[in-house]
Amino acid sequence: MSRKLGALALALGILVGAMELKTLVTAHGKTAAIMANGVSPVPVKFPPSN
Amino acid sequence: MGAGVCFVTCSVIRTSFLRYFFLNLYIILSLFSDLLRQFVLRFYGLESAQYTYAYYYTDCLLTVALFVAVISLASRIFAELNMTRHVRLVAVLLLLGTVGFSYAVVAQSAHRLVTVFAFELSQNLYFVGLVLTYLLWGAILKLQESRTRVVQMVLSLGLYFSAYAGSFALANLAPKYVIVQYLGPILGCFLPISWALTIMRHSEDSRLTTARLVAVPR
Repeated sequence: MSRKLGALALALGILVGAMELKTLVTAHGKTAAIMANGVSPVPVKFPPSN
Repeated sequence: MGAGVCFVTCSVIRTSFLRYFFLNLYIILSLFSDLLRQFVLRFYGLESAQYTYAYYYTDCLLTVALFVAVISLASRIFAELNMTRHVRLVAVLLLLGTVGFSYAVVAQSAHRLVTVFAFELSQNLYFVGLVLTYLLWGAILKLQESRTRVVQMVLSLGLYFSAYAGSFALANLAPKYVIVQYLGPILGCFLPISWALTIMRHSEDSRLTTARLVAVPR
């Protein structure tokens, strides 16, 4: 039981840390990221919208 | 693309395909995604909505595959401590948590939900992967993991995620510079090349001596 709670706490800690880091990295920007996986060119339309 | 083919081919030849199945799966999906993107790009063009959808949805798929690849490396590292089940539990909780968080972020803009969700999930999973990879590197140091392939693959992932976060920051700080647009494709080549070199240069029995990393002869 305690190990499962530990796993839950770890997952929450990682998630909070990751979102904090994302906020920190994008704090001074007006645009979102334009990078992605692969070597194909990034689309001109950004962000994707209907 | 060549490096990806090289990595998968070397994995098969050196009988490591199943051992590093999720890494190979990521590379294979990456190759198919590139082919699909090129196909859509040729038929519809760079400014088309079709290419935008194809690009960001395949990106989301690839990011989930990369997350699973990181978890598979974590499972290998923690296997000796019999913590594989807990690693999987953390992975599932992390994935569900990231999906929930991404949905919460885009839920308010209902008319853009379908398209923006994939993009938001991809971005958030990248940062989760970044934190996870650094934790994994800490675990490697703590547990004195010496398998060369595992160490180099985790290091490659750490460099890849860090470079991505750096380019992310650069894109926000200086969006007007053209060079920023080319960072993504350049970074996309790094992971297959580094993994292919690792598989080619080192066997599964290769070990790193920790002392060589720490002690500097004078």
